[in-house]
Amino acid sequence: MSVDLNDEIMQDFLVEAGEILELLNEQLVDLEQSPEDNDLLNSVFRGFHTIKGGAGFLSLTSLVEICHKSEDIFDLLRNGKLALSAQMMDVFLQVLDEVDRMFAQIHEAVDPDPAPAELDQMLLDMQSPTTEVEATGAATAPTKVNETVLDAVSAATPAEQENNTEVLLEAAEMESTDSMAEDISDEEFGALLETLNQSKSEPKVDNVGQTKPQSITNDASDEITDEEFEAMLDVLHGKDKGPATGPSSQVPIESDNKRDHTDKNLISDAEFDDVLDQIHGKGKGPGSTDNAESVSAAKPGPTASGSGTDKKVAVAPKPATPGSATPDSAKPVKTETSVRVDTARLDQIMNLVGELVLARNRLNTLKEGFTDVRVHQAISNLDSVTGDLQSAVMKTRMQPIKKVFGRFPRVIRDLARSLNKEVNLMMEGEDTDLDKNLVEALADPLIHLVRNSVDHGVELPAQRVAAGKPGAGNVVLAARQEGDNIHLSISDDGAGMDPEVLRNKVVEKGLMDHETASRLDDKGCFDLIFLPGLSTKQAISDVSGRGVGLDVVKTTITQLNGTVEIDSVIGKGTTLNIKVPLTLAILPTLMVKLGNRKYALPLSNVGEIFELNSKQVSVIDGREVILNRGKAPPLFHLRKWLLNGSEETEPRAQEPQVIMVRVASNLVGLVVDQVIGQEEVMIKPLGSMLQGLPGLAGSTITGDGNIAIILDVPGLLQCHA
Amino acid sequence: MSGQQAIATPASLQCVTFSLQNENYGIDVMQVQEVLRQIEVAPVPGAPSFVTGIINLRGNIVSVIDARARFGLPSAEATSLTRTIVIEVHQQIIGIVVDSVAEVIDVNPSDIEVTTNVGNDETSPYITGTVNSDDQLLVMIDLNKLIGDVEIGVTGGI
Repeated sequence: MSVDLNDEIMQDFLVEAGEILELLNEQLVDLEQSPEDNDLLNSVFRGFHTIKGGAGFLSLTSLVEICHKSEDIFDLLRNGKLALSAQMMDVFLQVLDEVDRMFAQIHEAVDPDPAPAELDQMLLDMQSPTTEVEATGAATAPTKVNETVLDAVSAATPAEQENNTEVLLEAAEMESTDSMAEDISDEEFGALLETLNQSKSEPKVDNVGQTKPQSITNDASDEITDEEFEAMLDVLHGKDKGPATGPSSQVPIESDNKRDHTDKNLISDAEFDDVLDQIHGKGKGPGSTDNAESVSAAKPGPTASGSGTDKKVAVAPKPATPGSATPDSAKPVKTETSVRVDTARLDQIMNLVGELVLARNRLNTLKEGFTDVRVHQAISNLDSVTGDLQSAVMKTRMQPIKKVFGRFPRVIRDLARSLNKEVNLMMEGEDTDLDKNLVEALADPLIHLVRNSVDHGVELPAQRVAAGKPGAGNVVLAARQEGDNIHLSISDDGAGMDPEVLRNKVVEKGLMDHETASRLDDKGCFDLIFLPGLSTKQAISDVSGRGVGLDVVKTTITQLNGTVEIDSVIGKGTTLNIKVPLTLAILPTLMVKLGNRKYALPLSNVGEIFELNSKQVSVIDGREVILNRGKAPPLFHLRKWLLNGSEETEPRAQEPQVIMVRVASNLVGLVVDQVIGQEEVMIKPLGSMLQGLPGLAGSTITGDGNIAIILDVPGLLQCHA
Repeated sequence: MSGQQAIATPASLQCVTFSLQNENYGIDVMQVQEVLRQIEVAPVPGAPSFVTGIINLRGNIVSVIDARARFGLPSAEATSLTRTIVIEVHQQIIGIVVDSVAEVIDVNPSDIEVTTNVGNDETSPYITGTVNSDDQLLVMIDLNKLIGDVEIGVTGGI
């Protein structure tokens, strides 16, 4: 079956399964730390199971297969028939990567390729230790049979082994094979989807039942009463009380044999049951009560009962809240309080608010011309409402940094294993919210920096012990909000960096002459690692050491109007401090004037403003410097850079002003004709024709309706200084 | 009857005509959004020479290019006839400064003569052909090529 990306179900599946997959990544790493945590095991199992279920609906055969096999193993783990090992974790993580790959293929509307045979074999091999615990026939045989069944029946039916319900369902199916369609019809899909989304309201559930009633009674009427529906559930579930005690691995073989004949459907009824279970909460409805009993051994418990799939994703697999995973805590029916909104729509709202801010700025400028106090009142009212609206809209775009941090346990684990290091990751302030665009933009740089910390920072266990440190290194990731900025830090307790080594390296590579290098202070030396083409690593690993990347990290963060600083003590470790603004769309700036044109300098760069006094200016080495606070930073005239060096012709209204700006560890003075004041502006990109011009960050429309160019101070200095 | 004809022959092309250095040029009306009278242009430091700057078009920032500079013609002072034609190309809104804008005329695509010897080195890549209309020669410009070529620098950004 081909993949139809326009299909709503497919879209929903991709979104939800994507979230589950992300969670699984985290949970698997957690699980390795605490293999005894049954709740965690259960939620991992459930994660695979849910993906499998969804993939089953959409007949993504290869996805179903791989999830199914993993699920099998987790089931064995859950029942104590297998013990978790690091090798197993490696395989599971590979499975996740494989699932990830399939998702990528689905996104491209390609039917996912099956998983590589080795991985399949590894999964199968992992099941074999069961023989020691269980009689061979009981444990391994069913799975083997399942494989063959799966192969034989190319349709995507995952061999559901949850409980014996199937046996009965199969019987029911057999009776009604005539009326059964090969596939589930669109309406049925739609109904299911609806129930998934709106499962709280009882009557809706009727629709789901319809698929089954149809198959049994051949009754296609839309209006099934609750009683009828429940009766049907009874028929489906009721009888499984007796035999339904065994966990999956003990499913009698004959059930599988039966499947051979009957199970040509894309989705087995057992799958439907699972969906129903998840929707209903197992404590509800006469049929499902029984089911809950039988499943409770095999299923993790009605964690997410009563809430929609969305909710379930959010609540269920959270290992941190064990209460939610305990079997009997039936959740009260919650009304849905969140809505999924297309991010493009949010961006649009943000843009419109930006326009509103500009209009407000404009009114603020104009109001000086009015004497009527009511106009002033109205405008200041608008002013405050606009401000509130702006922050409210910004909040809708906020996402916890957890989104990025969540990937790190896995990244660090894999890396530490491949480098034979021991690394503990600690995360702080995961709930810090920041703009969605920033979260996305920061993901890659952060991953890069964290990998660097593990690769370059943390030493091998032996070295650590020799240095009197514990064998396992610590990497701490922290995030916190400070005013309008987010501070992120990545610290390790590794070897630290030696400024001397960096100095020598940079000269050796010809990136800087000896004198300049020797004049750098320690901080300046650390900043050298952001230079393109510099790597202190002797051996190049696939992780780092090619000297590519850190400069990209620096560029990305600078583009976000952020800064990176490095602190390092030899032998103690390194800390990278990253500061980025809360949002990208609206930028606090300092408006300045050159001639009759306005320019905006990001306020984050500005340190100090004072009038230019020619006594303070001296010339050293042909360059102007300004004496200020006992230092002599270089002085540049923005006029020369931005107005093609045109000299002032009109008489000056006032003395030129000097703006001290700090870029990384450098302080420079910029001379402007006039400082207008602070203004929040909305960044408007220059068209593609003008994109990438050095020193320009964009443009904006000022309060008086004119255009101001937003300057990119680091870029400006790089290109002119 | 006329409807049938329109279906039978390829729809006639409507062109906005403008002049530059006493030459007449035509561009597809479908790509023209509006024509602006004199408008204040904010220069952009470091921009290519043919980009005069950016304008505030009802809250949107629009880049403006000087057709004279683009076509390798000597620059001229703005007059009361100077217009900025706002066009949309490649989902980009761009303004083009021209000496004057004349009218919208119908051109039968089959009347466009593909000639190779029109224009100079700078213009010829953008010329699709010439049309004789009302005894005047109209040079047809392909805006997609005119604008498509000028994209510079890095794309993407943040």
